[in-house]
Amino acid sequence: MIPGIGAFTQDTLWCFSQVKGTMETGTTEADIISTVEFNHTGELLATGDKGGRVVIFQREQESKNQVHRRGEYNVYSTFQSHEPEFDYLKSLEIEEKINKIRWLPQQNAAYFLLSTNDKTVKLWKVSERDKRPEGYNLKDEEGRLRDPATITTLRVPVLRPMDLMVEATPRRVFANAHTYHINSISVNSDYETYMSADDLRINLWNFEITNQSFNIVDIKPANMEELTEVITAAEFHPHHCNTFVYSSSKGTIRLCDMRASALCDRHTKFFEEPEDPSNRSFFSEIISSISDVKFSHSGRYIMTRDYLTVKVWDLNMENRPIETYQVHDYLRSKLCSLYENDCIFDKFECVWNGSDSVIMTGSYNNFFRMFDRNTKRDVTLEASRENSKPRAILKPRKVCVGGKRRKDEISVDSLDFSKKILHTAWHPSENIIAVAATNNLYIFQDKVN
Amino acid sequence: MECALDAQSLISISLRKIHSSRTQRGGIKLHKNLLVSYVLRNARQLYLSERYAELYRRQQQQQQQQPPHHQHQHLAYAAPGMPASAADFGPLQLGGGGDAEAREPVARHQLHQLHQLHQLHLQQQLHQHQHPAPRGCAAAAAGAPAGGAGALSELPGCAALQPPHGAPHRGQPLEPLQPGPAPLPPPAPTALCPRDPRASAACSAPSAPPGAAPQAATAASPPASPAPASSPGFYRGAYPAPSDFGVHCSSQTTVLDLDTHVVTTVENGYLHQDCCASAHCPCCGQGAPGPGLASAAGCKRKYYPGQEEEDDDDEDAGDLGAEPPGGVPFAPCKRARFEDFCPDSSPDASNISNLISIFGSGFSGLVSRQPDSSEQPPPLNGQLCAKQALASLGAWTRAIVAF
Repeated sequence: MIPGIGAFTQDTLWCFSQVKGTMETGTTEADIISTVEFNHTGELLATGDKGGRVVIFQREQESKNQVHRRGEYNVYSTFQSHEPEFDYLKSLEIEEKINKIRWLPQQNAAYFLLSTNDKTVKLWKVSERDKRPEGYNLKDEEGRLRDPATITTLRVPVLRPMDLMVEATPRRVFANAHTYHINSISVNSDYETYMSADDLRINLWNFEITNQSFNIVDIKPANMEELTEVITAAEFHPHHCNTFVYSSSKGTIRLCDMRASALCDRHTKFFEEPEDPSNRSFFSEIISSISDVKFSHSGRYIMTRDYLTVKVWDLNMENRPIETYQVHDYLRSKLCSLYENDCIFDKFECVWNGSDSVIMTGSYNNFFRMFDRNTKRDVTLEASRENSKPRAILKPRKVCVGGKRRKDEISVDSLDFSKKILHTAWHPSENIIAVAATNNLYIFQDKVN
Repeated sequence: MECALDAQSLISISLRKIHSSRTQRGGIKLHKNLLVSYVLRNARQLYLSERYAELYRRQQQQQQQQPPHHQHQHLAYAAPGMPASAADFGPLQLGGGGDAEAREPVARHQLHQLHQLHQLHLQQQLHQHQHPAPRGCAAAAAGAPAGGAGALSELPGCAALQPPHGAPHRGQPLEPLQPGPAPLPPPAPTALCPRDPRASAACSAPSAPPGAAPQAATAASPPASPAPASSPGFYRGAYPAPSDFGVHCSSQTTVLDLDTHVVTTVENGYLHQDCCASAHCPCCGQGAPGPGLASAAGCKRKYYPGQEEEDDDDEDAGDLGAEPPGGVPFAPCKRARFEDFCPDSSPDASNISNLISIFGSGFSGLVSRQPDSSEQPPPLNGQLCAKQALASLGAWTRAIVAF
């Protein structure tokens, strides 16, 4: 079976691989995972949490004698990326929660990633050190300075192997550029620039320059009382460094070309689906707000996630999506309760698989859904400790909407809305997925036949 | 997991969310509050349209029992869920003599109050275009002498509160306002703006600074400044029981401060102490402490030509302008400000404007209290609550301070 390519056939079964995180039921809020991201090779998997920490897992080399087990992910590095801050001028506390992590393509032995909280983006360098110099002239073994008068000989320090140490250092801090809360960052395909988007503005940065950024989108109205929509997500095109898209709270997507003008307030393309008037309700505006937008790997399509659906759009057709998938339409009648308990504001993400043939997104009750775009089949799986035996095959789950509940089905009213899967990631080339369930990170792989 | 999907509970839930977002970590989340404001707008529209429908039905029943004096009276109401836009309430009729005919008082009074609530925000929007100076009362007084629906159409809120008689009342002692048919909208439920060319002219100059009132508006209505002294008298007599908050002043909302349990009344975005209880009601007794001052205090975010910057850090520089001489040191609320209130304008603009009409100027306080504004803890007394205004109209039991 070719990994990652057309792999969602009837033979594809997903198996539990690993789970990271504590098993205790009482979780501290700081441990809640807020973002998950594979790097470009899939060798590293980074997670950010509400406490401002970043944990990077590295896939171990596959060993020949355990051919049935693909490489596992083990902790590679942990560091505190952001700390809580206080803006004294505005009397505001700035949360340390990591909103997004984006990897840079690897260009040397070190790894680079961007991590951001509500206000500040940081570029981190993660590098290994497995040798250390020994034999200093001016320092002794413990590092204390020696009295130069006692030195009678000179020697050249040599590098000796040491235990592997992974260190993370902040190389750049991009601060003070956002008035509103940053919701997205995206690395440009030129690998020299990246953008950060908040509710009303998008800024373009150069990696080398931290004290300046270009504002490329500004939708703030002159009079804030006329505000009708905000930016919810933004991403660069995977191949065209001049093109990016951003989504809005009104369910629209705008594609902008930076060659057209310096300030891309006027879009090049505008993607909007006409609203179905029969579905109108109090909460129509909320559920149409797009929570995530992702380019396909090919760059031909974009996928958007709103509260109840995932939509795939062709860049060449602006008036409607080419595919719409219902994630949990049974919640449509529950919107009022979900509004009361704030669940309606949950921002689910969505991901493509490596070949753009399958899309995945999360739901409640620790369910996550996959949709095969070719076969039009979908599956609901659950990330739970009960299915946590090694290589245990995940059983498809089903939510029962009608009155009669079958044996393995779960009724809508039994769903646990505190267990939500907002963040998932798919390995760039293989069928390995990482699913963040509150404070636990589940890694699933497809069954190797 | 059922919840009461009715407008009332939704409004209260939404207000509670906005209120609690003030204290949430990380600052006010613009996106979430924007979405909540949409729910508020939808719920409010439904609520108002339902009320109007109900009162209209009651009105119809009574009409059938009495010889119809005003056959052309027709209350158009939007279908539930549809926006109860200005299209439903056109310029008001002063009506002729037959208005004094006794009708079912309660229904008409309620209708009058409801209508007044709706006119409140219409009026606010229009006033924004016209003058920064005396709103509400004085402007109403100014409009009154013109008689006729034309001039009054620009000041629908105030017009609603005028006695049914068309004669100018400036300086005259007035009978308590009978819940007459005057405030009822005219037969043809057309949009306010198109119906009155002068008002539409006002609408069509959206970005004109308030100081530069659109010519049409200026020409149309007598300047608002004259006879402010007469307007209080006009107003004082014009209204029934002072305890009736909602009716007291045309652009008035009443606030219950949950923190201090102080009941205050906001008039024209300018916060007073409970003016109904006080003998020296600023809006009624003293001709407003200087209309100019009131406007300055009430207008937190004035448009000064050439100063429409998006300088976030300086946005609130002018916030705490002149403090209202009400004696209580608090930051004046922002005046609601509307650019396009024309039905043919983007419906989106009316979303927030509807919300602002709920909160008076409070919502602008919300969106401006984003991290970009120089932050002040929201003043205790500067809080507006539509619930209290609605409370006078229905069986509300909860008053929730928005923020």
